[in-house]
Amino acid sequence: MTEAELRESLYRAGYIADEGLATTLWLAGELQRPLLVEGDAGVGKTALASALARAHGRTLVRLQCHEGLDLSQAAYEWNYGRQLLAIRLHETQADRVKEADLFARDYLLERPLLQAISSDQPCVLLIDEIDRADEAFEAFLLEVLADYQITVPELGTLHAKHIPQVVLTSNGTRELSDALRRRCLYHYIEYPTLAREIAIVRATLPQAESALVEQAVAFVQRLRREDLGKTPGVAETLDWVRALHRLTFKALPDDPHALMATLACLLKTREDRFQLGEDRVRQLIEGRRTVGVAEKAPQPS
Amino acid sequence: MNTQARPLESIAGFAALLREHGLKVGVSEQQAMVTAALRLPVERASRLDAAWRAIACHGVRDWQRWPDLFERYWHPERTKGSARMSGQTRSGRHLQQLVKSLHDSLDRGAPSARPGSADAALQAPAADPDKPDEQGLSRAQGGATRADALHDRSLSMWLPQDLAQLERLAERIAQTLRKRLTRRWHDSPTGRRLDVRRTLRASLRTGGLPVHPVWRSPRRERPRLFILVDVSRSMATHAQLFLRIARAFVTAMDARVFVFHTRLAEVTPLLRSDSVAVQEKVNAVTAGFGGGTRIATSVADFHAVHARAQLTRQARVWVLSDGFDADEPQCLADALARVRGRGARITWFHPAEQAPASQAMQAVAAHGGLVERFLRLNSLRDLAAVAEHLR
Repeated sequence: MTEAELRESLYRAGYIADEGLATTLWLAGELQRPLLVEGDAGVGKTALASALARAHGRTLVRLQCHEGLDLSQAAYEWNYGRQLLAIRLHETQADRVKEADLFARDYLLERPLLQAISSDQPCVLLIDEIDRADEAFEAFLLEVLADYQITVPELGTLHAKHIPQVVLTSNGTRELSDALRRRCLYHYIEYPTLAREIAIVRATLPQAESALVEQAVAFVQRLRREDLGKTPGVAETLDWVRALHRLTFKALPDDPHALMATLACLLKTREDRFQLGEDRVRQLIEGRRTVGVAEKAPQPS
Repeated sequence: MNTQARPLESIAGFAALLREHGLKVGVSEQQAMVTAALRLPVERASRLDAAWRAIACHGVRDWQRWPDLFERYWHPERTKGSARMSGQTRSGRHLQQLVKSLHDSLDRGAPSARPGSADAALQAPAADPDKPDEQGLSRAQGGATRADALHDRSLSMWLPQDLAQLERLAERIAQTLRKRLTRRWHDSPTGRRLDVRRTLRASLRTGGLPVHPVWRSPRRERPRLFILVDVSRSMATHAQLFLRIARAFVTAMDARVFVFHTRLAEVTPLLRSDSVAVQEKVNAVTAGFGGGTRIATSVADFHAVHARAQLTRQARVWVLSDGFDADEPQCLADALARVRGRGARITWFHPAEQAPASQAMQAVAAHGGLVERFLRLNSLRDLAAVAEHLR
């Protein structure tokens, strides 16, 4: 599959990727290297992995990282309850259970990493928000990402049947180690351009009015240039256009009062809500330019 | 340099340039770049930009620096106003030619059969990945030397890498600030105290056998840092540096930053977001001030209103000021004594060579023990020098 075909199949899967991203994904597949994707929240990092899985017709195995994530939640765990049950059952019978029987694959609970490694079909492995996991877990991940294998002391080393396409995402809350970064290809997803964001919204919400989509996206693009605590991402734009469509808007109204209630879809902190009063919203609707901090003063006639 | 004749050497030169600019491009990255060029068909050679970017960049900083470096090396004719990187005459490099000649040489099986050439560096895994090959390095350096980043340059001459240096310095200082044990406990696999209740609860699913013991260890917390920046007229030339330093500590350890002249105002939210508009606002704030100074009133306001509950033994208060106060001389000592009385440790940073000796500061000195240390801070070099004194 060339990168143009990959881009096309991503489009069919509902993800509009630019040329650079498509090339990077293609290269990650060719070199069989994991891809580390960074970018602000809401720019479509997680959506990329699920779209990639759909585009290739593969299953998506997702590992959501969090503080305190350990091997038993990420890779594998022995099914202790079942092992105990087996011991008790054999106690009532004449035959004796061997230790090796208890540490067989039957008693192994597969968590996402092992699932991806031992999958019979090629899959896409999404390791989401890796920056939330501890450094110790990151170190463990190196073995998985470099050699696509997991070592279970009781069983030995389990090699991947099919090398999964790995996508790691990070929001940059913690600096990742150089070792992990160097094992991955890297892509930084920026906020989409106006044209691309309009295309994304149209593809996701084909039922919304064209004028509404264009004006709403232009509004959000202007809003991103404001000094906000939490800049709205593509997901917020989609939410907002969906809300406006449900409220039967055909285009953005000139009166900002009607919009104020729906801004909850875009502005997620109290400070941002406070900062964006009706006047500022009106200016953003009209697309009035600002210079520096102060608004450009009208020229005296 | 003829790209067509020696494609691998061209790539090695490019990798050397990337390394020169701080990108971590070792032998494995260089080999991946060659592989990517070989996998791409000649007609799609323009995609090499994106492919190599994914290989060579390992973070946002690299990512943002890439377009400039790529253009500079592969399309020097498009770069306006830039100096040539070496004294050698050089024809323009052409990516499509490069990919084509790589493909040709692959067909001939040439690359692996040239151990003595400069391209052999790509095939030599024993080479130090962090040490660029001599030929590529000498060309990329063009006789330039590395500048000492811990400089005394004025603010207007600061470069992006200086800001990065400041951030790293702030990180380092944040690490050295001594963590204190608290009375709170948290889950930790390396802890030494067994949480009996939770271990018993976890043992239920294994038939009562405590297979998953839950361990706890005491929590250690970093000190809470408050930075008070004087933006009065006498400090107008230093306020920007202080605010930049303060901003680095907001990022590194979530410090709270206040500016004061005759009044006190918190600017932490402004410093937290990273945009041009914010920098303009901070500049506007500092420019708009420039009046007199009421340090004592500001510190009293800080103590009574802004930092009330957070001023504990865990708190560190850094005052960045020259110490000239328009309040009654004794007021400052009283205000600082109230802050100190809550257990907070105060460090005073001053821009001048000597510690401040205004009347107010003399009263502070006479009181004894109010300010833990007076440290000079007028450049990044000073900050690096005082790092060891900050605990």
